[in-house]
Amino acid sequence: MNRKRLILLACGIVLLLIIILLLTVRCEGNSKQEPAPTTLAQGIDTVPMLITQVQKCSKLYTAEYRVHKIITHDDALRLKGQLMSKAFDLKVPLADRKIAIPMDAKIKAYIDFSEFSEKNIERSGDKITIILPDPQIVMTSSKIDQKNMKQYVGLTRAHFSDEELASYQQQGREAIIKSIPDMGITETAQANAAKVLVPMMKQLGYEEQNITIAFRKQYSPQDWNALIKLND
Amino acid sequence: MANKIKIIIAAAILIVIIAGFFWLKSATKDNYISLGSSEAIDPTPTQIQAIKDIGEWEFLSVSAEEMVDTVRKGFFKDDELVRIYYGTLRLGIDMKQLAPDAITVNGDSLQMTLPKVGLLDKDFIDEAKTKSFYESGKWSNKDREALYQKAYRQMILHCLTKENLEAAQTNGEAQMQHMMQQLGYKNVTIRIEK
Repeated sequence: MNRKRLILLACGIVLLLIIILLLTVRCEGNSKQEPAPTTLAQGIDTVPMLITQVQKCSKLYTAEYRVHKIITHDDALRLKGQLMSKAFDLKVPLADRKIAIPMDAKIKAYIDFSEFSEKNIERSGDKITIILPDPQIVMTSSKIDQKNMKQYVGLTRAHFSDEELASYQQQGREAIIKSIPDMGITETAQANAAKVLVPMMKQLGYEEQNITIAFRKQYSPQDWNALIKLND
Repeated sequence: MANKIKIIIAAAILIVIIAGFFWLKSATKDNYISLGSSEAIDPTPTQIQAIKDIGEWEFLSVSAEEMVDTVRKGFFKDDELVRIYYGTLRLGIDMKQLAPDAITVNGDSLQMTLPKVGLLDKDFIDEAKTKSFYESGKWSNKDREALYQKAYRQMILHCLTKENLEAAQTNGEAQMQHMMQQLGYKNVTIRIEK
């Protein structure tokens, strides 16, 4: 009888220890789980809302670049972890999601004439030199090619939500902005500024060979952060 | 004697179990399991499709933020999609349309006729900047395109107003006058085509 009790006691202790051990193992769920839909729809005002900001300016846009990018995202669900000091990383079957979003954007370079003054003009006899302010670069528009967007969703996964799509598109936009320094847009902007201003100066009576359109300096990669305007 | 042996055996088992527990605890200290996926997009190239010489002189910038929605009536409940679009309408003149005889100089007097003020670029919505505000139900790309077109029409309606065009024209005249005065002309007359 005593022996049976002893065995039962030992079994009980072992079970208890296993339970404690299991509880100490941390399990992290999928952080991407979408929250359950709420019933906010009733509270939303369906009248379109508009906020505008009007600003006076004097900007001469001289160069326009049309760029194209295909944003891709491979959203494979992975089971990662570590058990007994052994790390593992497994792809969950039938849980793949893939999306390709074609996108077009317009990037323009401009010269801000709002601070233009006598300091920007140098005269020497019949010759005139106009020293232009630094060119600035801005993404003026972007368009998602909704018609040609492709997506594949595995059997066990939910479709891409509107919030996820917006997030990928914003990341694509940032990637385009980051690639601006490789496009050579300031050189084009500088060359084109002369094409706009020289005919105007000729009408003012200056001979073409006497007109010089110059910039403050040649721009290096270090200047890019100051030249690119993220939000216009 | 038999009882003593039993007690010793029980104590030994207990010690082994406790030692095993601590060993297991230390061995599983760094255990974790996570189920998830990457949020970041894949690196893909950005291709330049066209480079264009332009001469757009902007005198008024109208930045708009438009919240548009679409509702689909359902049997039990309605589905709804609400998005916020951002755009900037640029009003000014196209210098490529400047006539060859647009400027007349007579001593220190200057007369200048500039082309008509209008919307410089029909592409003004930055769709990639769009924020998703609310979504219930499943929506297609066609629905999103329709929302974009709705936001486009609303921005034109609200921003491309007579008042804004007049403000752009007035500022254009002032800016050009200032620039010509800096070039040394005392009497400057600027006229913008209507």
